[in-house]
Amino acid sequence: MGVRLLVLVVLSVALMVVDARFTLLKPVRSQMSLVLMQSYWITDLPQRLWQGVASQFGSRTELVAENEKLQTENLLLQGRMQKLAALTEQNVRLRELLNSSALVNEKVEVAELIGMDPNPFTHRIIINKGERDGVVLGQPVLDARGLMGQVVELMPYTSRVLLLTDTTHSIPVQVNRNGLRAIASGTGNPERLELRHVADTADIKEGDLLVSSGLGQRFPAGYPVATVKEVIHDSGQPFAIVRAVPTAALNRSRYLLLVFSDNRTAEERANDAAQAQEAQDQQGGAVTPVVPATVPKPVVPATPAAATAPAAPAAAPATPAAATPVKPVAHPAPVKPAVTRPAAPKPPAAAPASTGGRE
Amino acid sequence: MSRNGWMVWLTFAIGMLLSVSPLPQFMEILRPLWLALLLAFWALALPHKVGMVTAWCLGLAEDVLYGTLLGQNALILTLITFLVLSLQQRLRMFPMWQQSLVILVIFGLAQLVQLWLSALTGNRQPTLALVLPALVSALLWPWVSFGLRGLRRRFKIN
Repeated sequence: MGVRLLVLVVLSVALMVVDARFTLLKPVRSQMSLVLMQSYWITDLPQRLWQGVASQFGSRTELVAENEKLQTENLLLQGRMQKLAALTEQNVRLRELLNSSALVNEKVEVAELIGMDPNPFTHRIIINKGERDGVVLGQPVLDARGLMGQVVELMPYTSRVLLLTDTTHSIPVQVNRNGLRAIASGTGNPERLELRHVADTADIKEGDLLVSSGLGQRFPAGYPVATVKEVIHDSGQPFAIVRAVPTAALNRSRYLLLVFSDNRTAEERANDAAQAQEAQDQQGGAVTPVVPATVPKPVVPATPAAATAPAAPAAAPATPAAATPVKPVAHPAPVKPAVTRPAAPKPPAAAPASTGGRE
Repeated sequence: MSRNGWMVWLTFAIGMLLSVSPLPQFMEILRPLWLALLLAFWALALPHKVGMVTAWCLGLAEDVLYGTLLGQNALILTLITFLVLSLQQRLRMFPMWQQSLVILVIFGLAQLVQLWLSALTGNRQPTLALVLPALVSALLWPWVSFGLRGLRRRFKIN
């Protein structure tokens, strides 16, 4: 019996070391999870059934009231959208004036929560979208009100999401009011984040909205993260103590949004932008007036070129280059599989700080 | 040979469901170690059938479920089964409350090992509250034991 114990213990320790250091066991784990993760789905079944029954027997008046409420909400949101379209266009134009790269558009997909992590000391949830649905490691997860966390473990049809409030999680943020940068760390309390190393004199006050700054290269910039709840200036402490409440309903949301954003690294993005710029410059040398930056979409100078073509053949090769859009980053990003990414340097703040290095 | 061995596996499957079932926030911290309880019972009842290898396999399954390092819970459950098996002769003679006490000590030790392992992997739990599941499990032991004994008699599992 003692020999068997010894063998099993050694085996377990070996497995743990291999699992912590290498990716050798990932296929084993995902195969096992294919069967085992069903148990989360099964334990979630009663609640789903209850919801189904409740929706079957919802009274007509309730449904009408809900419908009205949703319509009002929809109207409000549509109204805000109209403004947003104009603002987005204006933003793109201003960015072009400043010669800075355009904002990337993000795509979202709805996922549903199917389970909570049973360990009460970690804040992780399980969602019903996995590798086969195109989810990648480190992908940001939102709910209707703000950022929730990031994907830390991929399984074929499910994935595990580390929430912002986990003690091993930090996210780079900035104050929406003045752009002050900080790092918000989880505290293990679902209603609290803490800003680390904020100077005592920093301009931050109660009620400030913190949005993701995108500096860790993991979360897209500009999503709401938390609102500052209290700022304590303690003369005995080197830094101010800033506590914030996450805007997302971390322990209540059932439907989440997975953000699919530009998968390229910063260098690739910069390279692409530089190449686009170069092409533009070359073309600018040939045809002196570059397409005016204030025009939202490039006016294809096909007609003038065609008109002058018989007279000036030098202008002819410029036409195809001019047809490329002015916005350098606007073309769709090449979708890269996540497997090729681990070589890239890990963002220090956005990555979960578990020393084991497994995510 | 073994009869109705599938019942044992059914109980393990149910135990696995119980160990991931959603609980209110304040009860999460008190979640009993269902798989360990079941393993302890079956190791006492059918030591020729349920042993450390079973425990290890179940532990691996639990690791996948919990997203911990592969081998972490396997190690814990193997240790628990080993301790139960080595105290088997005495445990069978003990009255129920004494059995509960031994279970409390064994599970408490296992949870301490769990604490060390999770500290090694960087997820150190801030409190000693993780001994609470051992306490709850020990309090549940008599009921689990009675229930499973009834099941065993009913289906003549051996």
